[in-house]
Amino acid sequence: MQPQTSPIVTPLRRLALHSTSTCSAQASAYGKCILSTYTDVKKDACKEEFAKFGACLREAMKRKW
Amino acid sequence: MFTALLASRRATPCIHRQTRLYAAVSASSPINPHTVGPYRIFDRHAKRRQKDRSALREAGVRSRTVDYVRDEVADRMIERLLDIKRKFSSILDVGSGPGHFSKLLESQTTDKVVMLDSSEHLLCRDPDSDFEVEVERIHADEESLLNVIPPNSQEAIVSCLSLHWINDLPGILVQIKEALQPDGVFLGALFGGDTLFELRTSLQLAEMEREGGISPHISPMADSRDVSNLLGRAGFTLLTVDVDEVKVAYPSMWELMEDLRDMGESNAVIGRRNYIHRDTLAAASAIYKELHENEDGSIPATFQVIYVIGWKPSPKQPKPLERGTAEMNLKEIL
Repeated sequence: MQPQTSPIVTPLRRLALHSTSTCSAQASAYGKCILSTYTDVKKDACKEEFAKFGACLREAMKRKW
Repeated sequence: MFTALLASRRATPCIHRQTRLYAAVSASSPINPHTVGPYRIFDRHAKRRQKDRSALREAGVRSRTVDYVRDEVADRMIERLLDIKRKFSSILDVGSGPGHFSKLLESQTTDKVVMLDSSEHLLCRDPDSDFEVEVERIHADEESLLNVIPPNSQEAIVSCLSLHWINDLPGILVQIKEALQPDGVFLGALFGGDTLFELRTSLQLAEMEREGGISPHISPMADSRDVSNLLGRAGFTLLTVDVDEVKVAYPSMWELMEDLRDMGESNAVIGRRNYIHRDTLAAASAIYKELHENEDGSIPATFQVIYVIGWKPSPKQPKPLERGTAEMNLKEIL
């Protein structure tokens, strides 16, 4: 990988950054929840964990969706 | 008929021009997922545009950065070609891209290489000076190979990681066999079914948990067991099939997806969703990391590669002897 000389900050890049570093603790909690149930995942199986992860992302991105 | 075929085969001159492409609704891609015939899985038009765009992005810098998978596989493929003790006058590289494989060919192996690809910009990305042997480029759709390559004309045909976007895989193998001279060889590398299984499963789990359903994001790919059957069915003999893996580590799922895009390998399945919700993407990234993370904190991506060698039958070829005609007992040797 070459070092980026002038990184273009797109919304997707910001989402990438926040989901892997800023909110890594919440991401990890959500991932662990999926890991414990991944043989039988249903919709909203990890809703609470994702709510925290999503709230952190929205806070970091400074926007709602 | 034959002259018409020959006349339609023209070498593509590479003219480097700077054009600004605007997003537009294309009229030439009217693929309706509900009325497609058999063997229509991929949107070839979308794939060609993805490849063109990948070659043009940042004037080709991004495309060259992500050559690593194809360069590695081309390197392993050339070893297999060198095992064939034959000097070719010309080799046809189907789906060559910028020539990952063709660049490695030496003048002891062949005098000339003909590269054929459906993406003109990718085909012309690198100058002739990068190649040791003479190069000819043909810009044509790989799926209708026999429209540009006359039957019984090629000594050797190679394909390095391009067959996974062909709709009719059995059909292209038949076309390759037809294009070969008797006793001509086909050497190919194609992605196997385990390719990107980490990304596939992460996206599936994320979509399932967030949205309650799954949609195609990673293409279906040929299984190693199917490939030898397909080659046999296409009429190749003396088959050799082996499977290998290339594992690449990435900082996170996001870099993997960005690199895939720059390889021109974005999703082109017919009927795909054109977007993934950002919640689903973030969820997939978290799942990928938790399920597959390496010890050093990076994430792995597996590229399973199936290497095939097949020969067009010829009466001059060596054939296996009749069962029971051996003169020596194998037990005495072993």
